[in-house]
Amino acid sequence: MGDESVPYFLGEGTTKTYQIPISHLDYKFIEKCTDVKHLEKILRVLRSGEEGCYPELTLVCEKRIEHLDPRSRALRKDKPAATASDFTAEEWQAINSELMSWLTEMNEDDKKSQLLRTDTLNERQDNLPPIRCSSSCLPTNQNKKLQNKQRSKKNIPRDYSEWDKFDVEKECSKIDENCEESNSKARFFSRPSLPIIEKKIDTTGMTKREKIFIATREKEKGNEAFATGDYVEAVTYYTRSISVIPTAAVYNNKAQAEIKLQDWYSALEDCEKVLDMEPGNIKALMRRATVHSHLQNYQTAIEDLNKVLSVEPENSMAKKNLLEIKEKLKSLKPVSEPQGKGKKILIQEIEDSESGEGRGENKEELERRGGYKTSASAAAARAAAAEPAMGNAHRKSHGKGGGRARDRDTHKHKDSAESGLKKGASEKKSEKHLSDNEGEVNGYLRSDEKSESAEAEISKPHREGSQSAGGGSSTSLPPTAAKLKSEGNEFFKSGQFGEAVLKYSEAIEYVTGLGEQSPDDLSVLYSNRAACYLKEGNCSDCIQDCNRALELQPFSLKPLLRRAMANESMERYRQAYIDYKTVLQIDSSIQAANDSANRITKTLIDQDGPSWREKLPPIPVVPVAAQLYRWDGGGLTSENKPSTIDINREEELQMNCEEATEKFKRLKNEGNDFVKMGEYEEAANKYSECMKLNTEECTVYTNRALCYLKLYKYEEAKRDCDHVLQIEDSNIKAFYRRALAYKGLQNYQASADDFNKVLLIDPNVLEAQRELEEVTQLLHLDSSAGAGSHQTHGKKITIQEVTEADEQEERQFATSEDAETHHVPAEEAVPKPVPRRSSEKLRVSEPPNAYDFGQIVNALNANKDKAACADLLTVTDPKTLPVLLSNKLEGEILLIFIQSLEHYIAGKDPGLAYQHLFYLSKAERFKVVLALLSKNEKEELQQLFDLLSESQSDQYSLEDLESLKKVYEL
Amino acid sequence: GAERPQVVSHVQQALSYTVFDCKWVPRSARLLCLGSAARGTGVLQLYELHGARLELLREIEKPKPIKCGTFGATSLQQRYLATGDFDGNLNIWNLEAPEIPVYSVKGHKEIINSIDGVGGLGIGEGAPEIVTGSRDGTVKVWDPRQNDTPVASMEPVQGESKRDCWTVAFGNAYNQEERVVCAGYDNGDIKLFDLKTMSLRWETNIKNGVCSVEFDRKDINMNKLVATSLEGKFHVFDMRTQHPTKGFASVSEKAQKSTIWQVRHLPQNRDIFMTSGGSGSLHLWKYEYPAQRSKKDSEGSEMGVAGSLSLLQNVTLSTQPISSLDWSPDKKGLCVCGSFDQTVRVLIVTKLNKI
Repeated sequence: MGDESVPYFLGEGTTKTYQIPISHLDYKFIEKCTDVKHLEKILRVLRSGEEGCYPELTLVCEKRIEHLDPRSRALRKDKPAATASDFTAEEWQAINSELMSWLTEMNEDDKKSQLLRTDTLNERQDNLPPIRCSSSCLPTNQNKKLQNKQRSKKNIPRDYSEWDKFDVEKECSKIDENCEESNSKARFFSRPSLPIIEKKIDTTGMTKREKIFIATREKEKGNEAFATGDYVEAVTYYTRSISVIPTAAVYNNKAQAEIKLQDWYSALEDCEKVLDMEPGNIKALMRRATVHSHLQNYQTAIEDLNKVLSVEPENSMAKKNLLEIKEKLKSLKPVSEPQGKGKKILIQEIEDSESGEGRGENKEELERRGGYKTSASAAAARAAAAEPAMGNAHRKSHGKGGGRARDRDTHKHKDSAESGLKKGASEKKSEKHLSDNEGEVNGYLRSDEKSESAEAEISKPHREGSQSAGGGSSTSLPPTAAKLKSEGNEFFKSGQFGEAVLKYSEAIEYVTGLGEQSPDDLSVLYSNRAACYLKEGNCSDCIQDCNRALELQPFSLKPLLRRAMANESMERYRQAYIDYKTVLQIDSSIQAANDSANRITKTLIDQDGPSWREKLPPIPVVPVAAQLYRWDGGGLTSENKPSTIDINREEELQMNCEEATEKFKRLKNEGNDFVKMGEYEEAANKYSECMKLNTEECTVYTNRALCYLKLYKYEEAKRDCDHVLQIEDSNIKAFYRRALAYKGLQNYQASADDFNKVLLIDPNVLEAQRELEEVTQLLHLDSSAGAGSHQTHGKKITIQEVTEADEQEERQFATSEDAETHHVPAEEAVPKPVPRRSSEKLRVSEPPNAYDFGQIVNALNANKDKAACADLLTVTDPKTLPVLLSNKLEGEILLIFIQSLEHYIAGKDPGLAYQHLFYLSKAERFKVVLALLSKNEKEELQQLFDLLSESQSDQYSLEDLESLKKVYEL
Repeated sequence: GAERPQVVSHVQQALSYTVFDCKWVPRSARLLCLGSAARGTGVLQLYELHGARLELLREIEKPKPIKCGTFGATSLQQRYLATGDFDGNLNIWNLEAPEIPVYSVKGHKEIINSIDGVGGLGIGEGAPEIVTGSRDGTVKVWDPRQNDTPVASMEPVQGESKRDCWTVAFGNAYNQEERVVCAGYDNGDIKLFDLKTMSLRWETNIKNGVCSVEFDRKDINMNKLVATSLEGKFHVFDMRTQHPTKGFASVSEKAQKSTIWQVRHLPQNRDIFMTSGGSGSLHLWKYEYPAQRSKKDSEGSEMGVAGSLSLLQNVTLSTQPISSLDWSPDKKGLCVCGSFDQTVRVLIVTKLNKI
C-alpha cells in the first residue's frame, strides 16, 4: 500500500496524488461522504502521509469505508501470520494437539503401509486404463491421423491448428463402424453435456487407509456439489464414496441430497441404512421424519420425531416439525378448515389392485408440482405402499379441478375455462385487439401450465394395454428423465423458464440417448420445452421444439397451439393461421384458437388483400382419429346427437364383438384423457358413447357422473349414480358421487345419507367424513337459518376421478384454493381468472413472487375489482413492481392499476401512487403497453396525474411529476 | 471477526538453496523441497514434520536444477515423484531409491516450467498422465508407461512465435474418457486442450503473463479454473457453461500489486483457494456461486454467470516472492510454501471447517 510520492506540501489546495481538495481531509467531510471511491482515495492519501500524519483521521476514514463497503479493498492491510497471541490458550492448545495427533496417526500408518506395500502393487498396475492412443482403445488403422503423429513418426509435434482440424465425429464414426467396443464412446460424443460418472470405484488392491482416503474425497466432492445445489451430482459422489466404504455419515448426506431431489424412497432407504448402522442417529431420524411426512406416513414421522425429542428434548427443529405434522394430521380428521394453507388431499383407492411400482414418485411429483401440502388418510398410505402400476394419468385432472369455485351462476364460463382456455376472459376483451391477444395468450398459457404440470404427472404412464387418445402406446420415462422432467416442470411453474429449459433438454438428451422409442414422452418433453421458450420469448426455438414434438406426435394439441402462438408473435401470420386452423380441426372448442384464427384472418386480409387465402400454404387435413371434438363446442352432451348414433350404428354393424370391446376401451380412455384435460363435456360424450356399447360397465357411469358433477349437472350425475347402484349396490364411488350430486342439488339430507353409506363401506375415506361434516352443517344451517346460502364458507370441495381400464382410481379432493395459488392463505384465496360475479371482496396479501403476483393480478383483472387491486398495490412495495410484473405487463393491467391508483390510493396516499407510477414505468414492456393505450385510457391516466398534482406529498415534487408525465407520454 | 480463518506460521525452515517447488508427500507428514543450489545443481530435500520442527530425512543432488514436481500420476502406494528440470528433462523418482530415475525423458528443449499429474492418488479417472509445460513453447502429455514419447503434444504452428509456457494443469477427469489440459503462457494466453477430442477447446488472453492455473478439482466435471497473472490480478472462470462465442464467464480480483505466483485450491473444499504473491503475501479466498450459474443470452445460447470472491484472510510472511504453495491432501488446513528468501514454511490455516 501507500504511494511512492515523498511527503511534501504543495499548498495549492489539493493533494498531490488524486488532486483531492485539502478540505476533504476532514472529519466532517469524511463522515458525510458516501462515495466509497473518493474515500478510498482520501484513505490512500492519509496513509501515505504525504499531507502529514493523522492516525485518528485515518482510523475514522477506515471506519467510514468499512461502514459503507465492508469488502472494500482499501481496508485490506498487510498482516503478519497469526501467532499464539492471536488465539486463546485453549484454541492454541487445540490447534497444536490436533496437529500432533494427526502426525502420530500418519507415522503409524506409514509403518503399516510399508508392510503392505509389495504384495498389492502389481495387481493395481493391471487395473490401469490403457495408455492414450494405444491400440487397445483405438485401432491403429482407424486412427491413422493420430497414430501417424503420435506413434509411427515418433511424435512430430502437432500445432494448434491441426488440433482444430481433427474431426472428432468422423474419427468416431469410423471407429463405430468397425469396433463394437467403442460404441459407447462414440455415443458419448453425441451428448457431451450429460456427464457420465461411474457410480462405483474400483478398489482392488487398495489398503484400508487408501480406501478411507478415497471415500472421504468422494464424500467431499459430494458435499461441494450439494453446497452448489447440484444434487444429482452430489448423490453420484456419495454413491461412489459408499461404493468404497459405506459409512453412516455418507448415507445420511445422500439421504439429504435425495430429499432435495424429492426422491423420497431412496432417501428413506438411505435413512434406514444410517439407522441400521447407528440406531440413534438424530439427523437420520429427522430426515426420515421428513420423508415420512412427505409420504404421508404421519404416524411414523411423529414416532421418529418423538425419538429425536427423547434424546434431545430441546431440539427446536424436531419440535417445530412435530407440531406441523400433528396439525396436518388433525386437519385431516374432522372438517376443521385448513389453516391458512392451501391444502390438497389425495386419496388413492385400489380396486382389483395389481402390484407394481413407480407409484410413490408420482405422488411426490404431485406434491412438488402444486407445492400444496398433500395429505392423506391411512388408506392413502396403504395405497401408496401397495399401489399398482396404474393409470397415473388420472392424476392429471387435479390441477384444474382444484381451484374451481363451485359457483353455479358462472358455470358456463367455467366450462370454457375448463376446456383449457380462458374463453370467458377473452370474450370480455373483444374490443381491444392487441392487449386482448396477449391476455389470451397468457390466459392460455397459464391454464396450460396446469395441464403442463399435470402432463408431467403421467410421465410414467403405465398404460398397460390401453391406448391413449393421442394414439400409440407410450413407454414410461426412465426415472432419471422423469426426474429431470419434473424438475423442469417445477422450474416452469416458478417462472424460471431458463432452468426449466435446461432440465427438459437434459431429459430429452437422456431419453434420446437411450434410443428407446417413446415418442409420447419425448413429444411431451419437447412440447414442455417449447412452452418455456415461448415464455421466454424465444419463438424460433419454440417453433423448432414444437416441430419435433409434432413429428413424434402428429396433431398433438399443445405443440400446435404453441407453435401457432410463436408464429403469431413472430408475425408469421400465415403459418400461425394454419396451425390455429389445424388445432380447430382437432378440437373446435378451443376458443383461443378460434379467436386467434379470426384475428389473424383480419390481419391477413389487411396484409394480402381479398385473395389472402390463395397465399396460404395448404392446411393439413387432420385424420378422423386425431379429431377429438367434431361437434359444436357449445353442445351439452352428444347423447342425443343423431350423428353420433349413426356413426355408432354403422360401426356396430361393421364391428365384430372384439372390435366393440376395443372401441369401448378406446372411447373410455379418450374419455379419461378428456377428464385429465379438464374437458368434462367431451369426456361425458365419450363415456356416453361407451355406454352405447356396453351398459353394464359401471366405471363408465361413475366416470360420467364425475363429469356431470364437474359440469354442475347434478341431476344427470345423480341419474348415473343411480344406474350404477342398481347394478352394484355397494359401489362406493357411486355413493360418494351421488352424495355430492345431492349436495349440489341442495338435498342435504339425502347427501348426508349417502356419505354415511360411503363411510359404512369404508370408514377411512376421510373426505367423505369431511363432506359429511360439512353437509351436516349445511343441513343444520338450512333448517335453522332457513334459505341461507349454502356457500357459507370458502370451502368448496371437488372430487375428481376417472377410472381406467384396470379399474384403479384415485380421488382428489381439493379445497377451493387452486394449486397455483397455494401461497395465498385459504381465507385470502384468489379465484382463477374466471369471471366471478360474486360480491365477496378479495383480500390480498403481499405476493411473494412474480408468479403469484401475476395470478392475483389476473384474477383482479378478470373481476375488474379495483378495490382489491388497490389493496394489492397498497401491500406491494412499489420498488418490487418491475420484478413482480416481469414481462407480463399488459394494457389491461396497466389500466386497472391506474384506475385503482386513481380511485383508491391517490386520495389517501399520493406518495404511494406516485411511487407506483414511477416504478410501473420501469417495468418491462411498459413502453409497448403505453403505446397501445386508447384515448379513454390516456384520459384516465391524465386524471390520475391531475389528482396527484393537486394533492401534495413529500414523496415527490411537481417537477418529479412533470418528468414522470413525460415518461407516460402525456 | 473471530470466526475468520487465521494463518499460523507453524515452522520456518531456512534452506541453503533456492526453492522452486515444495510438495507434501501424500498420506504422510513428509514434504519435499525442490530447487537449485548455488553451484547450479538440482536439490531435492525430503523433510518430515515433527511437532514444531522439520527433520531432514534425505537430501539428493541432481545435475540440473529442478523446477517443479508432482505426485499426481502415481499410486498412493508408490508415491513416485515426477519432476521437471532446467534442461527440459522429465524424471520420475522412487524416493526410496532416488539414485536413478524410474522414468526419464528429455521432454523439452528448454526448462520445464510447470508439471501436473492426474490419474494417480485416486484423483481423476483414467490413465495416469503427466503434463509438462516448457519455455520451448510446447505442452506435452506423458504416460509413465510409455517411454520416450509423449502421448499428446501441443505446440504452436511452425513460424508462429513460440510463447513461454509458464503453467499447466489437468482437469475434467471425471470419467475414463474426459480430460483437459489448461496451459498459461507468458503473453497472457490461456489455452484449454481437450484430450478426449484432441482439440483446442477454448482460448483467451488475460493480457498479462499467466503465472499459475489450477482447476478447483481435477476429477470432476470441470467446475472452476483460477488463473493468476504477472501484474497481481487473478481470474476465476466458471467452467460449467461454455458460451459458443463468449467462452466461460469469469470474475477477476486484484490481490496485490505484485505478481501472483501461485494458486492452490484447498483439497478438501474446492471453493477455497490460496494465492501467493510476489510481495511475500498469501491471500485466502472463497468463491461464492451466483444464485444461478447460467443464463440464456439474447440468441438463446447458454452462458455462464460468474460468482463473487471474498477474501477470507491475508498475511505477509516475507519480503520475497512466495513461489510455491501446497496444501496437505491429508490434513485440512496444513500448508507448505517456499519463498525466494530461501525459506520453507509450514502453515496452519485454522477454522476452515467453519466457512
